[in-house]
Amino acid sequence: MDLTKKFADVGIPLGEKADEDKLPYVHVVEGQVPYKSKHRVPSGETNDPQKGLHSDIYKISEVQHHYKERPYVWWGPSPDEARAIKTKENKFLYDKRMKQSDAVKKFIKPGINLGVAGFVNTRCPFSIVWTIVKEALCNKTIQATDLTLSFQSQSLCVEWLLGAMLLDSSRVSVKKVELAWQAFEVIGSGPMWTHCVQSGMIEVDDYTNYGMSVRFKAAYMGIPYVPVRDHGGADFEVTNRGVMTKCPFTGRNVYVLPACHPDVAIAHVTAADMYGNSRIFGQTLTCEEILGAATVGIITCEELISNDAIRNYPNLTLIPFLSVHAVSPQKYGGYPGAVWGYHWFDMDFLREWRATGLELRKAGNMDPLKKYYDKYFYNCDTWEDFLAVIGYKRLAQARELERGQRVILD
Amino acid sequence: MTEKIKAGPFEVLCLTGARCLEDKTVVFVGTGLPMLASLFAQRTWAPNLSLIFEGGSLGPILWMGLPLSVGDIRAGTRACMVKGLCAVFEGQQRGWSDYAFIGGAEIDRYGNINSTCFGEYEKPKVRFPGSGGAGAMAANSDRIIAIMALEKRRFREKVYYITSLGFGDGQPDYRWKAGVHGRGPYRVVTDVALFGFDVGKTNRMTLLEYHPDLSPAKIQERCELELLIAPDVKPMVLPTQEQLKLMVTEVDPERYFLGKTVEA
Repeated sequence: MDLTKKFADVGIPLGEKADEDKLPYVHVVEGQVPYKSKHRVPSGETNDPQKGLHSDIYKISEVQHHYKERPYVWWGPSPDEARAIKTKENKFLYDKRMKQSDAVKKFIKPGINLGVAGFVNTRCPFSIVWTIVKEALCNKTIQATDLTLSFQSQSLCVEWLLGAMLLDSSRVSVKKVELAWQAFEVIGSGPMWTHCVQSGMIEVDDYTNYGMSVRFKAAYMGIPYVPVRDHGGADFEVTNRGVMTKCPFTGRNVYVLPACHPDVAIAHVTAADMYGNSRIFGQTLTCEEILGAATVGIITCEELISNDAIRNYPNLTLIPFLSVHAVSPQKYGGYPGAVWGYHWFDMDFLREWRATGLELRKAGNMDPLKKYYDKYFYNCDTWEDFLAVIGYKRLAQARELERGQRVILD
Repeated sequence: MTEKIKAGPFEVLCLTGARCLEDKTVVFVGTGLPMLASLFAQRTWAPNLSLIFEGGSLGPILWMGLPLSVGDIRAGTRACMVKGLCAVFEGQQRGWSDYAFIGGAEIDRYGNINSTCFGEYEKPKVRFPGSGGAGAMAANSDRIIAIMALEKRRFREKVYYITSLGFGDGQPDYRWKAGVHGRGPYRVVTDVALFGFDVGKTNRMTLLEYHPDLSPAKIQERCELELLIAPDVKPMVLPTQEQLKLMVTEVDPERYFLGKTVEA
């Protein structure tokens, strides 16, 4: 594996003095994934999950084994690769402002592992996902194909990507998803998600919300795996890529999960400076972990603030400039989701998507989906055009319903 | 004289769920019906109930009304602390959470819940949203309260995929071997019955209360799984007009849940 080629692919700026020969801790064999393991059983005697270390789930489950049968493969960079890439990056404060379309064209490539921050529809990177679909599907300037998605709980953002896949899978396609949850909370299920998984189009790896969040956290911590207290005894133990181990200190069974390093992470934050130092108000969700774990971090922000303001209250900086590689100030970048301090959900917009998707899933009718993408993607040049289609009144109403949570911008 | 408000299945669910919650405790609230019941409890007999929402908020005051998502602004407003998902789930592992309130698609006699899929895992017949926080909450909150409508397709002998762990196969050491912290399922709240568990003995689902219009036998008819009946089984309390008025005006005025019917 040629590290320089991988960096060029990814597009992050390398440090001037980066010297590959002087990195003793990355051991790579040409053409091979560094660590290939039959990872299930500590003693190495057998690869049969039935006989390996586990709780009693294998005795009661009827679910067929899934990832456990195959050697473990990192879906993004391995922890050692991720560390090597991070070490070689430029680490001084340089201006990272760019248009979302430029960021997407620079960093979104076929086959990447995309980490999507946000929780269901709260502070999700809607404008970035819109731009990815716009550039790939409509403008045909990039190919967002063979994507692997990593997230804890998402909703409309992932539905938009799956819908684009159904319209033209040569421009946008999702092959694998590792997740905890994908639907619309109070208004129901995600129709594209249900349709794509039930048709066998997507490979799925299930975790809990904590499981996925802590995987990003482990990656951010620079460690290869993390012990958790859930997943054990449930069918996650049978299907997912985690492993049951024995705690060396208490002797008890403890489930461990591999770190998750996405190639690219996308997030919407409250305020950022031009170097990427970011503040988030309201629930911080898993944004700092996902951006810190990824090789490349792309953010949109409601407000662009000065570096001086950041330095006034350094405690409030949740995401350091070292986790970010592209900053795009974008008001309403989290619309139709809810953003603390700015606007509430646009529930009608979410319902509109659901109705469109259900037409496809239940009646096999693609026309509403095509009309939806015509209206909101093809016929809009920019995110501002998209917001204009929705109209000032709905945006103003979403702003009204937010009821004034406080943010600190100075 | 205003019209009498009808106590439909979701109104009964709301009250029964709230009755399981204790004042001056911490409850980790899942999405959907648990939010409804917790908000009602906080407005009535449990004003000192601290809520944790998995989005990252500890102790919010739900003055803005029913959250539409467990990570949204209404679930975080006027909280004692907001951080992220890791913080609250780790707090739960540490031992902050007395109760967890979760939902799901189907449940079996040991309280194992499925919210992942039916049919082959790789190409399922029906794919649900997934675990979300429920898998973690069922593992690590001290006691679990499940809430769902009572339907034959939900109360099964065996669930296809165990997403949220109950008592596993009912063995006393199952949860210990699973490496989880919490003591396990405590209540199952439905619109026509309230169930507990025969904890420490068979660990099986036990009928504690039934809707006054029905009987224990009728409840058993509506479940595929074989229930135990508690020796002191009694009729459920239904919501009073005052409580219904509170539900309809303050708890769920936008009718995301109330006023709907349950499929037979």
